[in-house]
Amino acid sequence: MASTSISKAEKSYIQAGLLADPPLRADGRALSDFRTVSLETGIAPLANGSARLSIGKNPHDGSGGTEVLAAVKVEVENIDYAGGSGVEGGRVACTVTCSPAAYPHLRSEALDDLQYDMTTVLHETLSHSSLHPQNLAILRGKKSWLLNLDLVILADSGNAYDAIFMAAKAALWDTKVPRTRSVEYKAKKTGPTASVAVGGGGSMDVDEDTVSGFDTRQITHATDFELPDYWDEGEVLDGRHRWPVCITLNLVPPAHLLDATTSEEAAIPLRLLIMFSFESKESPSIQGMRMLGSGELTTAQLADLIKVGEKYAQEINSSLNVKLKDEDLRRNQKARERFAQR
Amino acid sequence: MVEITILKRPRAEAVITQRKFFKKTARGKVIKVLRERYLRDDVSCGIQNCTDCEGSAMNELPASGDKAHPSFPLGHFVLPDTNVFLSQMDLVESPLFSPPIILLQTVMEEVRHRSLPLFNRLKALTRMDDKKIWIFYDEYRSETAIVREEGETPNDRNDRGIRKATAWYSSHLNLTRPPIRGQPPPKLPTVVLMTEDAANRQKAEKAGIASISVRKYVEGMNDSTSLLDLLAAVGTDDIEPTKAAAGRQALYPEYLPSATLLTGVKAGQLYQGHYNANQYNYLEGSVPVPAFTKPVLLIGRENMNRAVNGDVVVVEVFDEKEWKAPADEVVDQDSATKNDDAEDSGEEGEDESNQVLASESKLLQAEKRTSEKQPTGRIVGVIKRNWRAYVCHIDSTSLTSSNTTSLSQQTVFATPVSRLLPRIRLRTRQAPSLIGQKILVTIDRWDVTSRYPEGHFVRALGKVESKEAEQESLLLEFEVPYRPFGKAILDCLPEQGEQWVVPVKSESSPEWRDREDLRDLIICSIDPPNCQDIDDALHARLLPNGNIEAGVHIADVSHFVHPDTPMDSEAASRGTTVYLVDKRIDMLPSLLGTNLCSLRPFVERLAFSAIWEMTPDADIVNVRFTKSVIASKAAFTYEEAQIRKDDPHHQDDLTSSIRLLNNLAQKLKAKRMAAGALNLASPEVKIHLDSSESSDPIDVEQKEMRETNSLVEEFMLLANISVARKIEDTFPQTAVLRRHLPPPRTNFEKLQDILMRRKGMKLDVSSSGALAASLDLCVDPAEPAFNTLVRIMATRCMLSAEYFCSGSVGKDTFGHYGLASPIYTHFTSPIRRYADVLAHRQLSASIGYSPLHATLHSKPHVERVLDVVNRRHRMAQMASRASVEFYVGLALKGRGERERKKGGDAAEVLEEAYVIRTFRNGLGVFVSKLGIEGLVMFKRDMQFDAENYTITVASPSPAEPTTTIAVFDKVTVRIEVEKDKNTQRGRVKMTLVHPVDSRAL
Repeated sequence: MASTSISKAEKSYIQAGLLADPPLRADGRALSDFRTVSLETGIAPLANGSARLSIGKNPHDGSGGTEVLAAVKVEVENIDYAGGSGVEGGRVACTVTCSPAAYPHLRSEALDDLQYDMTTVLHETLSHSSLHPQNLAILRGKKSWLLNLDLVILADSGNAYDAIFMAAKAALWDTKVPRTRSVEYKAKKTGPTASVAVGGGGSMDVDEDTVSGFDTRQITHATDFELPDYWDEGEVLDGRHRWPVCITLNLVPPAHLLDATTSEEAAIPLRLLIMFSFESKESPSIQGMRMLGSGELTTAQLADLIKVGEKYAQEINSSLNVKLKDEDLRRNQKARERFAQR
Repeated sequence: MVEITILKRPRAEAVITQRKFFKKTARGKVIKVLRERYLRDDVSCGIQNCTDCEGSAMNELPASGDKAHPSFPLGHFVLPDTNVFLSQMDLVESPLFSPPIILLQTVMEEVRHRSLPLFNRLKALTRMDDKKIWIFYDEYRSETAIVREEGETPNDRNDRGIRKATAWYSSHLNLTRPPIRGQPPPKLPTVVLMTEDAANRQKAEKAGIASISVRKYVEGMNDSTSLLDLLAAVGTDDIEPTKAAAGRQALYPEYLPSATLLTGVKAGQLYQGHYNANQYNYLEGSVPVPAFTKPVLLIGRENMNRAVNGDVVVVEVFDEKEWKAPADEVVDQDSATKNDDAEDSGEEGEDESNQVLASESKLLQAEKRTSEKQPTGRIVGVIKRNWRAYVCHIDSTSLTSSNTTSLSQQTVFATPVSRLLPRIRLRTRQAPSLIGQKILVTIDRWDVTSRYPEGHFVRALGKVESKEAEQESLLLEFEVPYRPFGKAILDCLPEQGEQWVVPVKSESSPEWRDREDLRDLIICSIDPPNCQDIDDALHARLLPNGNIEAGVHIADVSHFVHPDTPMDSEAASRGTTVYLVDKRIDMLPSLLGTNLCSLRPFVERLAFSAIWEMTPDADIVNVRFTKSVIASKAAFTYEEAQIRKDDPHHQDDLTSSIRLLNNLAQKLKAKRMAAGALNLASPEVKIHLDSSESSDPIDVEQKEMRETNSLVEEFMLLANISVARKIEDTFPQTAVLRRHLPPPRTNFEKLQDILMRRKGMKLDVSSSGALAASLDLCVDPAEPAFNTLVRIMATRCMLSAEYFCSGSVGKDTFGHYGLASPIYTHFTSPIRRYADVLAHRQLSASIGYSPLHATLHSKPHVERVLDVVNRRHRMAQMASRASVEFYVGLALKGRGERERKKGGDAAEVLEEAYVIRTFRNGLGVFVSKLGIEGLVMFKRDMQFDAENYTITVASPSPAEPTTTIAVFDKVTVRIEVEKDKNTQRGRVKMTLVHPVDSRAL
């Protein structure tokens, strides 16, 4: 997974520095220090949710650092008939694209492989059913939302995985799904009357007509949906605080370090990615785990690493949450206040 | 050096500068749309002499507002909210309502979102010269722009915006007119928020903003009585105690929500179509839908569910076992519902209402016949109302007080002139003075609790039967735009006006560029008498090689009417010139129509010529099109041309040219007939007017067809077909063509059945040629008029021809059924038809004379224009027909009076008529001499045989034989023009004289 190749001498120099006491890193950080992370949400007005995140950007000239752009776009999918690719309750699809400018030394096939790897890791973690938002359903058996999460890595100077997961979480946090209202036309067999069932926003339960519980062949007839208020951006995704963060532990046994730069990544044989979701502060759950590189790890080591990883992830998650709430405030309430005070 | 600064907008303000909304497309996708908003400080307030805002000279509001309203002695401006325009547009449009109006962008946008037709009326209103309206772009002015709060509904947001704008105007007036020391403080006009929403008014008052309701405002005005009638029926709730609407019983089922309707239609469980009322039976209507070959039948008020003729409705079709056949009875609304009381109709406890209901339910008895069953259903919703202003008469019996000085408000019935419409209930203070007048009424609403729609009075047109009122009501009824041409349009005319002539031929003259000089040709025009707009002229001459050169020269209207000018768009919206008996409503200003374009004799005129070389057998050798300059040598009437042609003493060039044309025309016609063209008939009559001033009709006669009529017709057809080929060739996507679709076979079923049963004749409708041949065989030697009658009935079975854009339909549907031509267009009358103007432009481009304007390359644009033209064309035809009918009525009345003078009271107008329809209680007859259809009603039911189309009239004494009358029988009818006692509506009444006198029946 090394994106930069370095000489053996340089490799051993970096490794030696990391194992020294106190450990030495090229930019003077401690092993568990992160570079500065900066985040902005709502950068793509036409997307339903978006974020730009950078790690280690030079605050003075804006150069360097890992930079990721994430955007969410929801679209309506048909479930019912042939050719409709929708899934009951909606689905989430993630794609990661690496800008060739971020990896100038990679051939296009290698770039494709890299993108594919990242897409797989991200997609498998985020589209897991335990994280699935409830409000991606529109009409039972008819229509649902497809949530497309697209990420672009604009620049990579290390720790791309943590960056894409953070950007993804931010964009998903920012995502608003248009509110829909279902409408239905039912021709009753007894007498020529028609009834209307109008369901609310989240639970798209249109079968409100009181029919016998034994009647399992309830065929909903013509159903469609409408947008009750099209100026409204919609509601946030259900369970948005659950979206996981990823912590990459770069292992230089017995030590490990966080937020490795490109050259550090090249010098380190083994990396462990752990994805944590924090339903609440007390109950983290592991949503995924990945080992990258050629090294080996024992189960006991792994258990220890998970424990420390959880601590780091907790920190990242809570500071991310603070920043996201801050962003919401900045873009809505504060902007309004400033506008009113002109 | 000019300093240019760029106003940079921090991204943080996205919530203010960006307006995002979602749109659901027809295909069910949801799209996010983003509008950037740039706030500025230089959006003008539009009030004259404002020290702060840059004036724009145009349409500014007077500095002190309007001081006429007694409540605002210091002057005021009215700032209406959206609902005022949505519900009280007639009031705002009234010329009596003249305060300066500030129209907010927020309001405009909301109106557009809620109702497109009202938005268009509003836009037209802002352009009117006599209205003082300033559009203030409040969303773009930084002080008045607002941002939607979280959890705020769009309505609340807009209301807040409107209030904010009102407040800003007040403070703006204050700031720009500061008190000057030593002078009395300036008198500031009020900006008053006009809204029907009581909650909004309360909020406004809390914020110190002046506000008023529409009714209160109008009541305070000086000429309030006439304006109060214009107030729509809605929106009265907070001023007057509501008239216990809750206590009323619902007479009609509620409509389904519109989204539900659309879903049902999409799923094929509901059907959408235009509602057509039945003119013979007011309790029946039908909706033609593509899913069934026969239209869906709606029987009874409840199933018709408040639809008004022309509405786009959604119907639910019943199970097949509930399908019914249409009734075979004439049910007249006026006689059946005579006793309804305007004040309390709708309250179903009343005895008389019950009677009405009982008689109605009797009429709705299920039909036993099974043969004619057709899909039956009910209306479950209305997609689009097609309400407009209707010409009505007040029903005098519905008045409670007829004291002309009484100004008390009364509820009365207005009976529309059109039989297809229900009576309209309206409240007016002027009822007594409106009796005997034609008035314009619009429908406001139709509640489930009210049997009749509710409307309001718009304006009076004049006394019934006065020509002006009748003429105007006709134009309104058929939506013919008849306003005089505005200044912007007249500015498009050549500066020289009447003095314009074709310039002297020279290389440099733009008129002569690429034009052929055909001034030496012997060209003449043949038209009806008194024709002023001469579109076409003809010539023919022998060529040295034995062939004949024939030319059709059409007025070069496209030389004067350029695309994208006010004149062009006006002509496009008028679509066609409308010919009434005594008036012509021009499509183009008369300077062009009757002078500069008209191919008058002895003057040089610009023309667009189609010139053929033909063999003596009328086979076309070649054709070419060219712009030309011609000088017509004569303008004949059909009659003059005919006489000249037939007179052997005339041997001049002109006459021989007519003879040559005539020979060719006969051969062309023979070829056309051989190809299967139809010879159709429509009842056309000509009105003789006494003199041009009095315009009293003295007689009616049938139009005569001469050889020369056919001559002109053949060459016009030839020109149209040739041009159609050429433009379709050059512009396959956007050529303006005309087609006549073959009628569906089911249309002829009834006629075929009648012919078979009554006369034993067959009608072969497999193709136009077969139809033409079998129509030729429908001859009754004893009745020469029978053939014409069948042709008229066959014509009624067909579809109407229409303009279309060649790229919009399949090439196999281009054909013209009636003319049996594979392709056709209209090219020959550009002065009176707009489609011809388009064809001219396209032909001009296809011969390389001029480039084609971009709009004529755009399929959607051409489609849109042709839609309008098609509609206008249909309306114009109906208007002309109605105008003829009115004059036939006048002529009949005159004739009746003359005959009475001659022969005492016994004399009456008797005419021969043919039976065209039979009902259980009446006959439909056609008087061919007058070209009118009429209805003979019997007071009681006759013995009716629907299968054989006969009714049998029992004789009063058993000894005498009974009389059977069948379709196609010749009868004699007595024709009277009778005025309805209540509504003063004149109508032709027919009674049977022979074979039986129906007065006793």
